[in-house]
Amino acid sequence: MRALLAAACLALLAAGTAAAQDKDAPKDRVLTGDAKCTRCHDENDTYPVLAIGATKHGTRADGRTPTCTSCHGASDAHANKTGKGERPKPDVSFSRTSKTPMAARSETCLACHQSSSRMDWQMSAHHNQDVACSSCHVVHIARDPVRDKLAQSDTCFGCHKEQRVQVNRPVHHPVIEGKMACSSCHNVHGGNPKQLVKDTVNETCFTCHTEKRGPFVHNHPPVQEDCAICHQPHGTTIASLLKQRPPFLCQECHSHTSHPSQAGAIPSTRTTSTSLLGSVGRGCMNCHTNIHGSNSTQNSATSGRFRR
Amino acid sequence: MKRTALLASLALIPGFAAAQEDADLAALVKPQSEASAGIGGWSKDRPRLGTYDGMPTRGAYGLLDAFINRRDEASGTWMTLEARNLGLETRELRAEWARQGNLGAYLEYSRTPRDEPYTVRTAVQGIGTATQRVPATQPVPLGDVHLGTVRDAIGLGFAKIIGGGYDFRVSFKSEDKTGDRIWGRGGAAEFAAEPIDSNIKQLEAVLAYTSKAFQVQGGYYGSYYSNSIKLVDTALTNGANPYFLSQPLDNQAHQFFVNGGYNLSQATRATFKVAYTRATQEEPIPVGPGVPTFAGAPTNLNGQLDNTLLQAGLTSRVSNAFSWLANLRYYNSDEKTPQVRVVQTGVLPAPPCPTCVDNTPLKLTTTSAKLEGTYRLQQGLALTGGLDLVKQERRVPSGNPDPSGAFDAQRYVPWRTDVDETTLRLEVRRSLSETLNGRVLFAHSKRDGSDFTAGNEPQVDMINPIYIADRDRNRVKLMLDWTPVQALTLTFNLEQAMDDYGASSSRPYGLKDGAAGTYSIDAAYAVNDNWALNAWFTRDQAEATQLGQRNASGGSAEAVKEAKLEDAGTTFGAGVRGALMTKLKVGAELLYSKNVNRYPESLALTGAGTAYPSSAPAFAIGPLKDITNTLTRLKLNATYALRKNADIRVDYIHERWQSDDWSWMFADGSPFTYGTTTDGTQLVQPSTQSANFIGARFIYKFH
Repeated sequence: MRALLAAACLALLAAGTAAAQDKDAPKDRVLTGDAKCTRCHDENDTYPVLAIGATKHGTRADGRTPTCTSCHGASDAHANKTGKGERPKPDVSFSRTSKTPMAARSETCLACHQSSSRMDWQMSAHHNQDVACSSCHVVHIARDPVRDKLAQSDTCFGCHKEQRVQVNRPVHHPVIEGKMACSSCHNVHGGNPKQLVKDTVNETCFTCHTEKRGPFVHNHPPVQEDCAICHQPHGTTIASLLKQRPPFLCQECHSHTSHPSQAGAIPSTRTTSTSLLGSVGRGCMNCHTNIHGSNSTQNSATSGRFRR
Repeated sequence: MKRTALLASLALIPGFAAAQEDADLAALVKPQSEASAGIGGWSKDRPRLGTYDGMPTRGAYGLLDAFINRRDEASGTWMTLEARNLGLETRELRAEWARQGNLGAYLEYSRTPRDEPYTVRTAVQGIGTATQRVPATQPVPLGDVHLGTVRDAIGLGFAKIIGGGYDFRVSFKSEDKTGDRIWGRGGAAEFAAEPIDSNIKQLEAVLAYTSKAFQVQGGYYGSYYSNSIKLVDTALTNGANPYFLSQPLDNQAHQFFVNGGYNLSQATRATFKVAYTRATQEEPIPVGPGVPTFAGAPTNLNGQLDNTLLQAGLTSRVSNAFSWLANLRYYNSDEKTPQVRVVQTGVLPAPPCPTCVDNTPLKLTTTSAKLEGTYRLQQGLALTGGLDLVKQERRVPSGNPDPSGAFDAQRYVPWRTDVDETTLRLEVRRSLSETLNGRVLFAHSKRDGSDFTAGNEPQVDMINPIYIADRDRNRVKLMLDWTPVQALTLTFNLEQAMDDYGASSSRPYGLKDGAAGTYSIDAAYAVNDNWALNAWFTRDQAEATQLGQRNASGGSAEAVKEAKLEDAGTTFGAGVRGALMTKLKVGAELLYSKNVNRYPESLALTGAGTAYPSSAPAFAIGPLKDITNTLTRLKLNATYALRKNADIRVDYIHERWQSDDWSWMFADGSPFTYGTTTDGTQLVQPSTQSANFIGARFIYKFH
């Protein structure tokens, strides 16, 4: 039995030696032409790269799939370095400490990805603040966190500290719960004023809150102009994501005589006096309940005041 | 022992080692799938923090998730099935099939609940329907009602690369929204629950052409809203005080758009977008039985809103040192709904008619321009200067103008047709060293506009409405990014904005000034390959001074009000993740957030009376008290590898939310109660909500 095993091992050894001779020239491992890189950068290297094979960028059946040098440049000086001294960086690199200019890093991606929602990238606030694609995207792993609805906001909050605080306030859109992502409202590659998925704030809000679009019989002008005049969409401590509590919110525009002029105060007990009800409950909206617009044609002045 | 020695000798054989290496490589480059199942439970109800996560109440919940990801290597065909939260009401499912570089399709479903954190104690009848009755007398037994909405969305899409640079994609989404939310009867400060049963459909179809230099796409986007409930009939149970509340009616918007970009040279790119949208609302307007209407009032609004967007941009990198961009944008929102009289009581007086109400179709044109240049000097120094111009023009939708044009009798807020804002920006970015980068931004904005059109009474015309008021804004932003050692990164942020509104002696009311600031420090430390730590601290504060006139009422004197509104937050976060041993990975996250809202308001009495309404039986107590919200959330997790493709994960969460929000309270802290003679509906929530979650799941990974 031992003799048989020894013979088998010898045979395998002989076959292996022949195979080893074939392997003198490094072979591609994941992408066409990647041998230049993967001869060093295997899964045990400081910069492991092979996991890209599990991504869209590793789908060899797609003729558009790039190879290492498509994105990192030929990088001959890096690949062919011999002797002592620090190895030069690849021609294009994307690490935090890379010397490659941010615009040049993005140009690498845009060579293939300039279309669709990224057409205006060069006009975007992100681009002009020296944010590159690789500032947010990780392309060498199977699931890029920024493309995951649950994980995306962690990337955005790396810079947007104010919004990181706001989404943890008691009233917020369901971002931390993973039902929405920042990109549900924002086209972060876009060039419109607030980098929104639609052309304006209101058009963006109407994708989910279409009932506010109207037109209504009785319009409320700031509602028509910009939802963000009254609402802070990232989170507040006030019901309905309001920026300020009534009556103060309403009194930023309204200076009427009578009950709309009331000071902020809480009633001592049950009352129907409108001069006592502007702060408690829904505040002014206790009565002006259809504040976004009303379709009532009742022949009463109250219908024009969003009370019907 | 013999077996080990044999395997060791096999590993020395090049062919065997290569085969093993190939197997390892295959495992690494092949898309991985994962499915997990488990159970978890919350120790107590958590209505506030469970508003959106499908777990608002105490009890056990199923934890079911899956991500199945397959690729056929020969054809490049992906098949993906992603399931999230299948054991919860927040469940999501998405199936996708794509032949990469050719065509693909997806089908998805998502449910988004929103559970109202307040419990309604009420005797209102008919909640959930379009006919609601409020008991006219009391006492009546109150019952607990839990309101909430659910969005059920189904989406599907298809994409095809046609060839020759062309591709086509189409997507469709249909979302039903059902449930009830807090509302009011309108005619009186009484409780009602708005019944919701509506649907939003969205369709987008895009044809795109892409070449190296030129990208263009055009298409159609439509959104269609339909509401099953057109009118809500509310009254007291004895039939008194009927109020019919209108609802949003069916409406739709059709948009056609073309946008593109062209690389004029390697360094210069031009972009454009043209979009035209027509939104209409043409449904018959329902009227409740017995509700009086003006003879000329519309039975169908024939509402029409046309939006036009024209946008063009040009950007160029003139040299390695200098780049610039220019952008021009025109957006015209023009409501073309016919203007008609809706309300007119009594005999029509000579104009203006203070008791008449016409609809007020708005036209708002916003033209904006941006010019920005960046000069990159040596040694990592970059200077950016920018100029932003925004010009708004409104068509004043006067309903009942005074013949002289001095005021509009049905306008309750002063109005201005033109508002212009100019912003100048200067930014310096500097690499101070290999490990230290800094950035300073200063921006100054000035907003002003045309003369105001007065409203229907002198006091109305004494305010600067916040969104069209004159305003000077100064904004400073500092950012420092420091990596003192490779493993440690520190980030410092400071943002401060200061506003000065155009209050004057003739128009003193509204916001006078404001300030907002955020200060933040973040630290991330990679201890070694196995352990990483992070922590952050943010302080944010917003203040505003708001003036107004209070008229005498209920024994109170006429007064000038000055409120110093403040919103201040302190938030701290920390996290750690690492491996206690090869098979055991652990993680922890801590979040602490405290937010204080302050509403101090001083009253300078200018007449006889008390500071606040003082007539019995109900009087008012002010100024409003501070409100403090505090949240602490600790999350711990541990994942143990049972074998290479199977893990056990245990999660523990402790959360505590505390609030002294008095929104639904009387001055003595007892629950606010609607009305004086009706049922006495109350809304209540526990002021402290503390709960613990523990869950365990089995995770199976496969190719």
